Amino acid sequence: MSLEQFKNRNVGTQNYVMLDLGKEPANNWEKFKQVVRRSVKLELFTGLKVTFREMIKALFMGEMHTVKYPFEKLPIAPRYRAIHEMKRLLESGHYRCIGCGLCEKICIANCIRMDTRYDENQRKEVSEYTINFGRCIFCGYCAEVCPELAIVHGGRYEVSSEQRASFALFEDMLTPIDKLTEQKEYPGFGAVSPDADKKIKKTPLAY
Amino acid sequence: MSKAENVKTVTLTIDGKEVTTRWGNTILQAAREAGIYIPTMCYLSKVEPIASCRMCVVEVEGVDGMILSCQEKAVDGAVVRTGSEALFRERQKIMELYDVNHPLECGVCDKSGECDLQNKTLEFAVDTQEFTARDQCRPVQNWGFISYDPALCIMCERCVRVCTEIVGDESLQISPGGYKSTIVNVKPDEPCAECGECMAVCPVGALVSTDFKYSSNAWELEKIPGACAHCSAGCELRYEVKHASIDDPEPKIYRVTNDFEFASLCGAGRFGYDFENRGARKDPEAFARAVEALRKAETIRFSSVISNEEALLLARIARHTGARLVCDDARGYQKFLRAYREASGKSLYGGNLGKLQRSDMIVVFATRLYDDAPMVKYAIATASKRQKAQVVYCHPMEDPRIQNLVTRLIRYEAGAEEGVAALLADLLVDRRRAPEELRRFLEDLDIGYLSAESNVSEEEIEAVRRVMWKRKRFTLVVGADVYNHPRVENIARILAAIERYSDFDLIAIPPASNSLGVSLICDLADEAQGYTVGYNAPGDFVLSALGDGDLDMPAMNQQEGTLTTIAKRVVPTYPALPYGGYELADLARALGIGIEHVIDLTPELPAEEGFSPVAFDDLPLGYDNLGTELRGYLLENAPREGEALPEEPAEIDSYDGTVVYRCDPGNLFGPFTARTHQLAAEAKLVGSAQFAAAAKIADGERVRFEVDGIAFERVFTIDTSMKGTIAINPVFDTGLRSFAISSYRFSPARIHHAGDADE
Repeated sequence: MSLEQFKNRNVGTQNYVMLDLGKEPANNWEKFKQVVRRSVKLELFTGLKVTFREMIKALFMGEMHTVKYPFEKLPIAPRYRAIHEMKRLLESGHYRCIGCGLCEKICIANCIRMDTRYDENQRKEVSEYTINFGRCIFCGYCAEVCPELAIVHGGRYEVSSEQRASFALFEDMLTPIDKLTEQKEYPGFGAVSPDADKKIKKTPLAY
Repeated sequence: MSKAENVKTVTLTIDGKEVTTRWGNTILQAAREAGIYIPTMCYLSKVEPIASCRMCVVEVEGVDGMILSCQEKAVDGAVVRTGSEALFRERQKIMELYDVNHPLECGVCDKSGECDLQNKTLEFAVDTQEFTARDQCRPVQNWGFISYDPALCIMCERCVRVCTEIVGDESLQISPGGYKSTIVNVKPDEPCAECGECMAVCPVGALVSTDFKYSSNAWELEKIPGACAHCSAGCELRYEVKHASIDDPEPKIYRVTNDFEFASLCGAGRFGYDFENRGARKDPEAFARAVEALRKAETIRFSSVISNEEALLLARIARHTGARLVCDDARGYQKFLRAYREASGKSLYGGNLGKLQRSDMIVVFATRLYDDAPMVKYAIATASKRQKAQVVYCHPMEDPRIQNLVTRLIRYEAGAEEGVAALLADLLVDRRRAPEELRRFLEDLDIGYLSAESNVSEEEIEAVRRVMWKRKRFTLVVGADVYNHPRVENIARILAAIERYSDFDLIAIPPASNSLGVSLICDLADEAQGYTVGYNAPGDFVLSALGDGDLDMPAMNQQEGTLTTIAKRVVPTYPALPYGGYELADLARALGIGIEHVIDLTPELPAEEGFSPVAFDDLPLGYDNLGTELRGYLLENAPREGEALPEEPAEIDSYDGTVVYRCDPGNLFGPFTARTHQLAAEAKLVGSAQFAAAAKIADGERVRFEVDGIAFERVFTIDTSMKGTIAINPVFDTGLRSFAISSYRFSPARIHHAGDADE
């Protein structure tokens, strides 16, 4: 689709379609007649029927449509990009992050920093990890680039606090170890596609 | 190479481009010279072709099959194709084989981002594995400074080659066994040269620094070019800098890398990088005191760990205030150089490390090579491995660490350098070329006396004469033992005569970082006198880059400037780390010398000494495709008048009893290296069992002795590979005092037990 029609800001010459709304009342007498006609025909209650039905459903049948925020919250779309979460391995409970630094590299707001070191088990350990949420633009590149699905976006969208640092540390983002069983996979960018199994090509093995 | 030399060239066509190259160059070299890309994995410019990867195959018209371009010499009229469908497939298959079972740990590998295997795997689009081999358990090995992960190793053999051909250490070998092959460290118990050369040339993450491992990704580090300030080689290096941690945004040097394709580093350069003066702040009161001290100073004493510009600035300050300049570690060298000039007919010695690498007859004199000048040792190792060079090592102490390089050892008595120089002159000077007076000088030498007193037998000299037969390129290396010898001037004249009237080129190793530059720029006095301001040297008021003086100064990795190297090259270095305190330029300004930055003096370095009037920012860096060094500029070696002849050697004093030799071991070059976190070590007096017996001390005992006016208390250890009654006494732990020693390196010393009272 070309952008031409959007770029044309000369409204008067555009191709508007007029609705047929009947005849407008011409004088005050005609206006008075219209009001009386509408009142006597009880059209109003036809419209209010829906309202009353929903009211009865809400009050007596437990089908309330509003939520008592902040005591209640609506579920957020699974691909929504809010405050990051750090996932753990389900088998061992160890955090998934391997400290490869790709999120640090790809971050266009330059807000991710990590310190890594050689640990006692001869592995790369992430000794510290922070995201500066004052800078983060929640673009989702870090989650997309992460080879281990370790850093993902969560649904925690309320980001007001006394200190931004309250969100920014590794431990705050990491799935609490006692909630490991409740850990959900992230379906957004970078996640394994539903047909991933079909795409896998096996490497020959000697054994 | 001079133009007068008849350089034979060949012309061939590579990918339709006509390329002219020196006769004897390989196809690969010709292609690189012309800027044509041929992929390689194992090829390393500074060593002989390894030919283990076969990636560099090319097609030559009229020749069946594929040709290894790294080995095949370019011939006239050849038509070479570097890329075709068949070549691409061949290279792709090679990469597929390299990738079999290569651990998929790029995410954590230190090499990721600068890995040849990664690059070539992507270049040749290897995305599947068609081959397979049974994987093996190959645990990581820790070799001290270096860790080896055999699982990541691709067996390109570069490390083995540099260890043998460049470093001359022969610590690494290949344990062959097909797919089970690994690199083995044949010196796991005794430390190897600990230079990290193997690690630098490793194309994958198999050999990595134990200290750096997993601390940062390669692409996070900012590379700041520098020149190593630890010894006179002034090697090219890059400080790799990043913020220290999440909590500390101050930059920190994480590691040092270099242009390993053409240049080398020793362990001091590679592992001794964090010698900066941390946390220096501007203290106006101390600054005012420093200005006052400089105004009234009668002597400015400094060390040669200093840039050329600072040396010149100190000379200007001294002229301004009427002070005298004292630089203890360069004074002897300056005497040597001045006497050499009067005798040799040129301003600087004629040899250089490139010539030394190509020499096939090398005489090393008066230096403990392994510890004093690693780059000279590297060049000798290369000469020894490539041309099977004869290496005659003349020193009072045998050094088993270079046993594999030295073909002949001449052990002389400590103090007999002048006599040995005369014996060498007698041996090496070509009588047909020598003028009448020199011939008479040689004839008048009392060879019997000299050889008896210096303990060098005439048979040994005769043996050297025999091995010189049919040799073509000669180099004489002289080192720090002679510069502080009482007869240094005469030794210089004797060596100048050897260089002038024989085929030998002389290399006089500058004893400390910028001793050559200081000797050329400053007029040095012998002795300090009166009120002394020390710049990185002891004094009544001390300006120190170690952070322990009265006013802080920037260390060499925190300032810009140029250094003059053993290669007679003026090389630039840049600040890798910020510095918050005052600099020498600030002091000069306060004294009324109008100068904004120290590097404003770069074009003003004395032209009569061979310096060029080039601005600091115009100094080039790096190497060209064939490895020609472009860094900085070479000093002009101008002809000089004068033909001073040596005088008769003085009587040789013999040293009886226990003698200590001042020498910082291995990777340590004075207090700056000693404060780096990887190299910090305990200084010990090391001697032979014979020394222990003579001094009546035991292994591991604390001893007390006094040398050069410094009272030492050290643990004594016996090194079973040593002989004789000379012990090695390091001074790297004595701080700035070590920069104020100007005595002869061998000193008789009475060793006391630490508990005993003075006699």
